Amino acid sequence: MSPNFPKPHLKIPKILLLFFCISQIVAPGFAFELDESLTFIWPLPAEFSSGNETLSVDPSITLTVSGNGGNSVVVSEAFDRYKRVIFKRASGFSIFGKFRGRGSVYDISELTVIVHSESEELQLGVDESYSLTVAKRDAQSIVWEATIEANTVYGALRGLETFSQLCVFDYGTKSVQIYKAPWYIQDKPRFAYRGLLLDTSRHYLPTEVIKQIIESMSYAKLNVLHWHIIDEQSFPLEVPTYPNLWKGAYSKWERYTVEDAQEVVSFAKMRGINVMAEVDVPGHAESWGAGYPDLWPSSSCREPLDVSKNFTFDVISGILADIRKIFPFELFHLGGDEVNTDCWSSTPHVKKWLGDHSMTTKDAYQYFVLRAQEIAISQNWTPVNWEETFNNFAANLNPRTVVHNWLGPGVCPKVVANGFRCIFSNQGVWYLDHLDVHWDQVYTAEPLEGINDVSKQELVLGGQVCMWGETADTSAVQETIWPRAAAAAERLWSRREAISTGNITLTALPRLHYFRCLLNRRGVQAAPVTNKYARRPPRGPGSCYGQ
Amino acid sequence: MRKRKRKRKMEGALWLLVVVVLAVVLAPAESAGDVKIWPMPASVSSGNKRLHLSKDFELLTQGTGYNDASGILKDGFNRMLAVVNNGHVVDGNFSDKSSLLSGLHALQYGIDESYKLMVPSPENQAYAHLEANTVFGALHGLQTFSQLCHFNYKSRVIEVHMSPWTITDQPRFSYRGLLIDTSRHYLPLPVIKNVIDSMTYAKLNTSFVPDMVVINCCSYAQKRGINVMAELDVPGHALSWRVGYPALWPSNYCQQPLDVSNEFTFQVIDGILSDFSKIFKFKFVHLGGDKVNTSCWTDTPCISKWLKKHHMNESQAYQYFVLRAQNIALSHGYEIVNWEETFNNFGNKLGRKTVVHNWLRGGVAQQVVASGLRCIVSNQDKWYLDHLDTAWQEFYMNEPFANITNSKQQKLVIGGEVCMWDEHIDGSDIEQTIWPRAAAAAERLWTPYDKLANDASEVTGRLAYFRCLLNQRGVAAAPLSGPGRVAPF
Repeated sequence: MSPNFPKPHLKIPKILLLFFCISQIVAPGFAFELDESLTFIWPLPAEFSSGNETLSVDPSITLTVSGNGGNSVVVSEAFDRYKRVIFKRASGFSIFGKFRGRGSVYDISELTVIVHSESEELQLGVDESYSLTVAKRDAQSIVWEATIEANTVYGALRGLETFSQLCVFDYGTKSVQIYKAPWYIQDKPRFAYRGLLLDTSRHYLPTEVIKQIIESMSYAKLNVLHWHIIDEQSFPLEVPTYPNLWKGAYSKWERYTVEDAQEVVSFAKMRGINVMAEVDVPGHAESWGAGYPDLWPSSSCREPLDVSKNFTFDVISGILADIRKIFPFELFHLGGDEVNTDCWSSTPHVKKWLGDHSMTTKDAYQYFVLRAQEIAISQNWTPVNWEETFNNFAANLNPRTVVHNWLGPGVCPKVVANGFRCIFSNQGVWYLDHLDVHWDQVYTAEPLEGINDVSKQELVLGGQVCMWGETADTSAVQETIWPRAAAAAERLWSRREAISTGNITLTALPRLHYFRCLLNRRGVQAAPVTNKYARRPPRGPGSCYGQ
Repeated sequence: MRKRKRKRKMEGALWLLVVVVLAVVLAPAESAGDVKIWPMPASVSSGNKRLHLSKDFELLTQGTGYNDASGILKDGFNRMLAVVNNGHVVDGNFSDKSSLLSGLHALQYGIDESYKLMVPSPENQAYAHLEANTVFGALHGLQTFSQLCHFNYKSRVIEVHMSPWTITDQPRFSYRGLLIDTSRHYLPLPVIKNVIDSMTYAKLNTSFVPDMVVINCCSYAQKRGINVMAELDVPGHALSWRVGYPALWPSNYCQQPLDVSNEFTFQVIDGILSDFSKIFKFKFVHLGGDKVNTSCWTDTPCISKWLKKHHMNESQAYQYFVLRAQNIALSHGYEIVNWEETFNNFGNKLGRKTVVHNWLRGGVAQQVVASGLRCIVSNQDKWYLDHLDTAWQEFYMNEPFANITNSKQQKLVIGGEVCMWDEHIDGSDIEQTIWPRAAAAAERLWTPYDKLANDASEVTGRLAYFRCLLNQRGVAAAPLSGPGRVAPF
């Protein structure tokens, strides 16, 4: 039995006891009440209005589709998925005899999804807008209807997520209800790129776990998984052209076959999520040499990759050609960060090569990055590079380059002033492995900070939270991601003015608590919101809605 | 009295025909030291051949009287297949079809949860062979089979290494429990279901869920061979469920234990147990009875008066309450589990069918069984998962038979349970607090005593492997090194 349960019947003077009793009765420990004036949809839709009626939802709700894209399997599979999420618990209570009587009528027994475009192409900037209406057919009607209308199947997915968040299990009636009907929602994302980075090199994450994370991303309407597959510690991915590369995996069980990676990509696509692969060169690549030691400058000095050998670029070419078949997303990340060139200057044959080509090590770094960019572009990819490349040789970067900020604030303003596109990931606020970053710091981080010119603002594609894996493996990764990634997700989806004014402790925090509990309900290991350090366990007993 | 049938008997022979294919490949010598199964089966022998499973791996049951009406076996087989494939895209094309292993043949054998697994079957090399007396024994056999299977990243096939295998297995204890506390933090159903799935991987068989009535979770667990024992902890620890019925409080400002003087109290207990009996089909119900501070009874005038009238002091009233609750539970066909305080205070008065649930310290089990009562071991210094400083080695070494040498008395120790009290646990961190330490206890409870390691360090490698297997199956099991649930360094 547990020794820690608080005992409320201590000996206390009577007058204090009275206060104690009152506080016991109203304390959140017993009945946590939500602020009904708030809208518990996360992230907050662009425009919405609600009423004050309560509707019941049929557990056998059916899908009706129309429009050119209505028959897409993306829609029908998502409908089945959300039906399971919504009605997870609404069965099996019959022994209590409280089932709704035969012949009883549910208010909502059908969901209509209209998709105008038949294209299932998923790329950056795909139209994710949708409208969701839960209302009576007309003013005289008593028949309620639920309708999602979108231009693309991916907009329909976002609408289904919102619909699922309107559906709440009511423990009294043991049925699923929609409160505050009628609902009229018009929604679209503020940024086209809303990302989460996963690092499978510092710790291998099983594909099953990657899929769980992708599924949870869809709940927060994130739309890009930045897969940092390979780094200096391990090379888990199969590359058929260079079959020894995945000898750099931690073990023979911590690997991804080509088919595994394809499965991740198609699983993500069914949820409207693009997968951006990263092959980080020339630094962060020591593990490549486990299979091909020639890629190291020498066996004692192993990073960055040997700039002097054509073989190095042959291997990069081979990797990119192989994985181009796996990752259809137009963006591809080439890394380029944290390059310490000491090995180049200290290894005789590389040093000689530098001299022969009249290059400094800094020149060689630029040469390497630009040559890798050309390979990516020749594979019909748009290169993304970490900000060091921009900081060092902005003028020579390919103009199509997307610059990925991480070192600090104020970088995207410089990037867009130079005409490049930018992704915001300032490590001070959006690195999830920084456990001391509190939810409100994540929430208030603004990708457009310091950029006032509208034409420049458009060059900020969006932002991304980064889950670096040094101290997060399967056991810890989800609670480190959630709920803080959700704070960034609302920043990236919702209208700036709607989420940047007022006291966020009153307007956003209760909603984030609610969303965190919703993640828990759906089986996602989201940590308490207000702990001083992220991913820590709760401080003591209490309602999920207050921690 | 309702007769509770704990195990579903398989009548006659059960045939599991699994189209498993195939090619026997000579593998590098793998020794018995490479057996990675957790918990270690009672008897294992293996060889050095390698088999491949067919892509069309399927279950056929022929020649058995067990009709699997509720699909327990079929579902269990499909789950086994899912964790074996583990999200990988599996290929099934082999050039060498000279020696196909194409099925699994099962017969009746042994009792309860025992099973016998042979891969391949000696009678027909094209089949694997699984014998079990109950469908729940078959589920354990499928679990073991799943742990023999490995995805080969190069050939994209599922392999069984170290064939031929002959495994004869049965649990050492019939009660192998995990307590999940849902009152300090609410745990959503999907979270509980994930925990139940992970319990089957370690062959735990009882989840003990205090203060919670969720029928979905019960049938979900039962289909996986996991019994759900409910707790109704009376008279203390019942503060919250009385919010709906304040009359159960001694007074508004003195709220527990339950009002012993009020007949309504026992009517409510009767009503709850009546509802429980429709949901929780396990033969045991846990009636708590721990840590009763009875000062509210003496501080509340009407109860104090009632005590005087019935010539009871506080401890007599506590005993009266516990025994009356026991009788109510008996009337609903339950056998009773009580926390050890009831035994410590009035052990000789407890119903003889009472199972005493140890928790305060080690050494209690020997006193309980010496008095002829049954016991479940959960000494908090070794088997409380919320004690994060208790390392997995201590979980592994905690021996339920400590100082119990008489074999009749040993039989009264029905097993043990690791406890996941959740003051500091919620949906975000429960799995890593449970695993891998619960697995260490699971082997102690499953594997025959003489096959357990005398020094926990001998099993480090195998447990680390099992922890990675849990990770591969999507369970957030923590690293072995460091205290409980710590993130990797």
